[in-house]
Amino acid sequence: MLQVDSLTKRFGGITAVNNVSLRISRNEIVGLIGPNGSGKTTLVNLISGFYKPDSGRVIFEGIDITGKRADERVKLGIARTFQIPKVIGNMTVLQNVVYAVIGSKRFKERKMTLAEAGEEALYYLDIVNLLRKRDILCRDLPIYELRLLELARALALNPKFIMVDEAMAGLNPTEADNVAKLIERLREEFNLTIVWVEHVLRIIMKSVERVVVMSEGEVIADGVPYEIVRNIEVIKAYIGEEMIKI
Amino acid sequence: MVMRFEERRGRIIIHFLNRWRFEWVVEPRYWRNPMIATFLWICIPLLIPFTPSGVIGIGPMALLSTLILANVIAISALAHSFQTIGTGRVNFGPHFFVVTGGYVAALLNKSYGVDPIITFLSSFTITALIGLVLSPLTVIARGIYFTLITLILPSILHEFTYWRSDIFGAETGIPGIARLISTGSVIYDLYIYFYTSFIIVAIILLVIDKILRSRWGFILGVINEDEDVAISFGLNIGRIKMIVFTITSGVMGISGWFITHYYGSFTGTVWLEPWMLIFILLSSVLGGKGAIYGTVIGAYFIVLLREVLRSYLRETALLVLYIILLVLLYLLPEGLWGLYRRRRYREYMPSVRIRRKL
Repeated sequence: MLQVDSLTKRFGGITAVNNVSLRISRNEIVGLIGPNGSGKTTLVNLISGFYKPDSGRVIFEGIDITGKRADERVKLGIARTFQIPKVIGNMTVLQNVVYAVIGSKRFKERKMTLAEAGEEALYYLDIVNLLRKRDILCRDLPIYELRLLELARALALNPKFIMVDEAMAGLNPTEADNVAKLIERLREEFNLTIVWVEHVLRIIMKSVERVVVMSEGEVIADGVPYEIVRNIEVIKAYIGEEMIKI
Repeated sequence: MVMRFEERRGRIIIHFLNRWRFEWVVEPRYWRNPMIATFLWICIPLLIPFTPSGVIGIGPMALLSTLILANVIAISALAHSFQTIGTGRVNFGPHFFVVTGGYVAALLNKSYGVDPIITFLSSFTITALIGLVLSPLTVIARGIYFTLITLILPSILHEFTYWRSDIFGAETGIPGIARLISTGSVIYDLYIYFYTSFIIVAIILLVIDKILRSRWGFILGVINEDEDVAISFGLNIGRIKMIVFTITSGVMGISGWFITHYYGSFTGTVWLEPWMLIFILLSSVLGGKGAIYGTVIGAYFIVLLREVLRSYLRETALLVLYIILLVLLYLLPEGLWGLYRRRRYREYMPSVRIRRKL
């Protein structure tokens, strides 16, 4: 479904993503992990079109989307969530999801009214279990519910492929477990392909089928989770070479 | 069928040529206050000749002229307010577009005898085209850079009018321009100009209101709040921002056109002074951030307050005015509109009410 070929992105003298290649199959759930500053979010930004790559290609469903804008990629079915939840604080939970429905292609195609868009937004809020919070202003929501809201909003775009950027950050174990179950359920119910970016592998270990590990802008490992935890390169990247010698 | 009527969800929906749709809420509480406000706005000026001049220190003629100026400021401020919502950038050079529109009308009328109706279209089109040329700035330039660029534009035009004073007349301006109408009676003329400017303001207000209540209101609202979120919704924010900037620039040009044909002369340097920028910006901010009706209230409040202060204080009037406005900015963070309607979220966001059992 998604093919990334030799993608490189530099910021001044720093190479944030260096010659990264990746293939993700339809309906697959892939974990993208790596220490802080390893280039995970930059890669998400490159795939979603928020950044333009210095070199390399992004191919989605056989179409070269490297030159396409982020909004055009959304229309092709690529959605994302943000590492720090980006919601419109002055708006209610419902209105935040309504925005996504209104921005979507089907709103125009089906000539939907605002009320119909609202009803559809309620459906997505119901899925992530936020229906009862629909009239609460987003600035009053705790981080857990903000994460759920971002997922509801991404779903409202009717995507085929979602990139979830550190959805577990700031959550307690119970909340993290709920989010993990929800992401798994969304894949089943909506037939989604998911790239799940996390800082720590342990959190997503049970949920993902394959793990891609990045360090210093490069892919250092790619395999099933139980192989990855034993991979010496991965251990070095996380705890450092000196610590391994000790 | 040319027109089709439908009653749905407490609204009368008028379908026109199966293409355009107009909705009108039947519930009286939704239109009672706007109707009262519009009635007062139309009728109060009719009482001006019967008002003793000592009440607020301004004579009837001067008061009517003040209200006309308030409408001129309101036209620019409405366009500026809408531009700010739709682009997420604050333009510090709205008077550049006002003056450009004014010069286009003045030069076409003076040099080629072009009719005011044609100069209206020309002023709108040329300022909109200049807006289109500058519109990529709303995408490229952020923060202080956009502020500085838009702040410099009026200064460039100001210097240009001095450099080519043979064309623009610099401080003396361009005299001898055809007025929109002249009945021979000053009071009748003032009324005609007041209601003409009133109609322009009302049309702009209704169009903006209609846009903000539609799908586009949501889209512009989200661009204003967070551009990354807007992009992640699949919105081509660059194109939307450029369209908004272009059209609103044209609308600002209309106020320049009106000034030209109202005074019968046009001195751009007067309208390029900082007071014009302050009045336009404060009308939208002090009127009510993002509240489009508040912008008109803000324009009337500021212009009237200046005239009242002038009649009592003379030399120190502007000094006192600016101090009062400064204090009010601090005291009224939600603006004058906020006094009328206290809402938790911003006014320009249309609200969606869905009935569904939990």
